[in-house]
Amino acid sequence: MDFTLEEGEIHALVGENGAGKSTLAKIVAGSIHSDAGSMSLFGEPYQPVSRREGAAAGVAHVRQQLSLVRGLTVAQNLQLGRPDAPAVFNAGAARDEVERWSDEFGLGVPAETLIDDMALAIRQQAEILIAVAWGARLLILDEPSSALGPIETEALIALCHRLRSEGTPIIYISHRLPELTELADRLTVLRAGRVVVEGADVRDADLREVATLMIGDVSLLEVNRPEIQRGSTRLTVSDLSVSSPHGVGCHGLDFDVAAGEILGVVGIAGNGQESLAKALTGQVKLASGNVLVDDTDISGSAGQAITAGVAHIHEDRSNGLAASFTVADNATARHIGNRRFTRFGVRMGDKIAHHARELIERFQVRPPEPAAMASSLSGGNQQKLMAARELEQNPAVLVAHGPTKGLDPEAAKAMRDRCFAVAQAGGAVVVISADLDEVADLAHRIIVLYRGVVTDAFPIEDMTPQRLGAAMAGLSETSGVSGD
Amino acid sequence: MTDVVADGEQGEIEDAPTGTEERSFTTSLSTSSLAVLIAVVVGGLIMLFSGENPLTAYGAMLDGAFGSKFALGETLSRAAPLAIVGYGTAVALRAGLITIGAQGQVVAGAIGALLTAQFFETAPSAVAIPAAAIGGALFGMAWVLIPAMLRAYFSVNEILSTLLFTEFAALLIEYLLNNPLKPPTAITPQSDPYPDNGILGLVIDGTRFHTGVFAAVIIGLAFIWWVRSDRGFSYDLYGENPNLAQSLGISSNRVIINSLLISGATAGLVGWIQAAGLLQRVYVGIASDIGFFGLVVAFLGGATAGGVLVAALLFGALQAGGLAMQSSEGIPASLSDIIQALLLLGFSIRYAPQIVRLTRGVMANFTLVGRRRR
Repeated sequence: MDFTLEEGEIHALVGENGAGKSTLAKIVAGSIHSDAGSMSLFGEPYQPVSRREGAAAGVAHVRQQLSLVRGLTVAQNLQLGRPDAPAVFNAGAARDEVERWSDEFGLGVPAETLIDDMALAIRQQAEILIAVAWGARLLILDEPSSALGPIETEALIALCHRLRSEGTPIIYISHRLPELTELADRLTVLRAGRVVVEGADVRDADLREVATLMIGDVSLLEVNRPEIQRGSTRLTVSDLSVSSPHGVGCHGLDFDVAAGEILGVVGIAGNGQESLAKALTGQVKLASGNVLVDDTDISGSAGQAITAGVAHIHEDRSNGLAASFTVADNATARHIGNRRFTRFGVRMGDKIAHHARELIERFQVRPPEPAAMASSLSGGNQQKLMAARELEQNPAVLVAHGPTKGLDPEAAKAMRDRCFAVAQAGGAVVVISADLDEVADLAHRIIVLYRGVVTDAFPIEDMTPQRLGAAMAGLSETSGVSGD
Repeated sequence: MTDVVADGEQGEIEDAPTGTEERSFTTSLSTSSLAVLIAVVVGGLIMLFSGENPLTAYGAMLDGAFGSKFALGETLSRAAPLAIVGYGTAVALRAGLITIGAQGQVVAGAIGALLTAQFFETAPSAVAIPAAAIGGALFGMAWVLIPAMLRAYFSVNEILSTLLFTEFAALLIEYLLNNPLKPPTAITPQSDPYPDNGILGLVIDGTRFHTGVFAAVIIGLAFIWWVRSDRGFSYDLYGENPNLAQSLGISSNRVIINSLLISGATAGLVGWIQAAGLLQRVYVGIASDIGFFGLVVAFLGGATAGGVLVAALLFGALQAGGLAMQSSEGIPASLSDIIQALLLLGFSIRYAPQIVRLTRGVMANFTLVGRRRR
C-alpha cells in the first residue's frame, strides 16, 4: 500500500468497513506496526513503536471512540498523558490554555466542564483541540462525523479548514461521500486492504464511481422504500412530556403512527430524542400524557411495552447488547420469564441455543455461532443481533434509534430492509436519527424536534432543506415554538 | 498489509476485550496457582528475613490445616462461613453491586438467631433450629434493607451505606452484650449460653466440625441453581448492562433490593451457625473477620460456584493453619495474614480489569449520593 499526504491538505480516506482505513491510521499513529514497508514523516524516516511515540513525533489520532477521560474536565484531559506535562498539575494554566486554543479556533469548548456532561460534538472538538495543543503536526480523524448532525458536521468541516490553513495536514476517514466534496482536497479509496484510487483530486472525482470502487456494488446504496399501506393507528402519543434532569426532555408531543407507516423523527442530537425513545419504549416515567400501543397504555413500563410488542433498536450498540454474554443469550434475552426455555426456573441451554440458531439464520448474524461472545462480532453483525432479539416476533411498534449509524453499505441496507419489513408486516415504525439521509431513506412522514418540542411535521415529499433547516433550528413558523 | 480487521472502526462495543475469559472473570487454574505460588514464595522470604525456617512454618501450617481430624474440622468450620457469605456476596456482585456490609449482617444474624432461639427455648429442636436459622437470615436481611432501599430509590452508594451499617451493628452488639443480653454473673460482654435445644451438634467429636458446616453445601447448591436460573440470568444481565436490562423490563429496583437482601440473608445465616454451632454463645467479636473475607472469597472465586468454594477452603485452611503454626512452632499467625494479603493483592492485580468491568455498568451511573443521568 502506498499513501502520500501533502503538507497542508485534507486527504480523505474512504472505504467500506474492513477495507483497512483504520488499520492504516493506526499504523501511522503508531498503535500497531506494519509487517513490511516503511514510512517517513516530513522527510524524516518514521517508525513509531507506540502511540506515544507517534504523538511525540506530532501524529495525533482522533478515534471514533474518543479517548478522553469522561470523569475529568477538558483542562485535566489536556494535561493527562501529555508528553511535556509538568510534574504538578497547574489548573489555572491548563484552563487558560484550553480557552486560548478554543478562542483561536472559534470553538466553544468549555475548559472546566466534565467530558461526561458535554455533547458528543463538543467532546470531539475538545479532543482535536487537545491534539493541537499537544503540538500535533498531522491529524488523523477516524469517522469523525458518523455521530454528528448536519450543523455539527459543518462546524467540524470549518474546524478542519481552519487547521488546514494553519498548515496542518489531515487524514480524514469517512464512509460519507457527500461531505467530502466540501471538505477534502484529495481522495484515496481503499478496498480489501488495497489502494484502489490513490490521491485523486476530489473536485474531479465522480462520487458514484468512488462508491462503486468502494463497495463494488452500487445497488446497495439504492433504497426502495415500499409504498405506504396505511392501516389502522397502532401507536398513539398524546400530550407526552418527559423531564430529564441533565438533558432536554420532551414537551407536549402529540402524534400517531399507523400500521405500515414509518415516521421519521429528526433534529440536532440532544433535542429530546433520547427522552422520546425512552418514553416510547416504556423506559421512563412520563411527566404527563401517555403512550398507547393498540389501545394498551405502556407509559412508564418497559415490561408492558414488550408485552404490547414494542421493539427497540438502541442508538448505542453498547447499550443495546450485553457485550460479554453469548450471542445465544443476547438473541433470546427478550424471552426472560418465558417458561418455554426453563425447567424449574433453570434455563435450558440446548433449547436456548437451538432457538438462537434459528434467529441467527433468519437475521444472518455472522459468524453463525450461538456460543460466540457478542463483543466478538463486527458492528454490523452486532446490529443484526440486536435486530434478531427485537424483531423476532413481528413488532407492533418499532422504535429504531439511528438504526444504520456507522454501518457499512451492506449492513445498512440489511437494517433498512428490516425496518421496511416491519412496516409491511403491519407494524408502526418510528425512526429517530440525527442523520437526515437515513431518515429520508426510510420515512414516509417526518416530525422535527427542537428542544423537546415538535416544530414541524410534514410528509417526506414536502421535505426541503430550507424547511428542515428552519425547523431544526427552532425558527419554524408552522408551529408556535414556546421555547421552554 | 495483512489481515485487515479494522476493530473499533464502526463503533463496536467499547473496549470489548478479545479473549474468552470475559463473562464474570472465571479464574483459570494456571494463573490462580501462580498467584498462590507467588504468595507462598514471598511469604517464605519474609519468614527467612524474620529468622524463621519457612519449611518448618509451612509444614506446621499444612499440618494445622489438614494434618488431623481436628485440623480438618478447623479448616471446614472456618471455610463454611466464608463460603456462605461468599455465595451471597457473589449474587450481589454479579448484579453489579458491591456490598461490604456482610460483617454487620453476620452480627445482626447472630443476635437474631439468639433471640429467636431464646423465644423457642422450650420448643422441640426440630422447630427451634430452623426457626433460629430463619431468625438469623431475617435479621441479616433487615440489616441490609435500608442500604438496599437507599441504593434503589436514591442511588446512595451501597459500598458506603453497608459499611456504615456494619459500624452500627458493632455498636449495637456492644450495647446489647453489655446491658440487656448480658447475664448478671458475666464479667466480659457476652450473652447467655445459646439454648440447648437450638445447638448445632458436632459431626466429629473432639473437633469443631459442627452440622452448621453443611449449610455451606446447601447454600452452594442454591447458588448453582441461581446462576442457571432465568431470574439469576436477568440479574446477571442487569450487572452487565443496566440500561439494556431496564429496556427489557427488568426492574432495576427489584434487582438491587433482592440481590442485596439475598446477600444479607446468607450473612445472617452465618451469624446463626456461628452462634448455634461454633461458639454456642454470642460474643462481641462473633463475626471475626468473616464478613470482609467473605467478600474477598467472592471476588477471588470470580463470583462462580466452584471458585468461591475453592477460595473459601483456601482461606479457611490458611486461617486454621496459621493459628496452629503459632501454637505448635511459636511462629506468629500474622504470617498467615501476610500470605492471605499477598494472595488478595496478586488476584486483584491479575483481575483488576475484570473487576472494573464487573462493576462498571452500575458504578458509572451514580456519583456518591446521586444518580448522574446521561
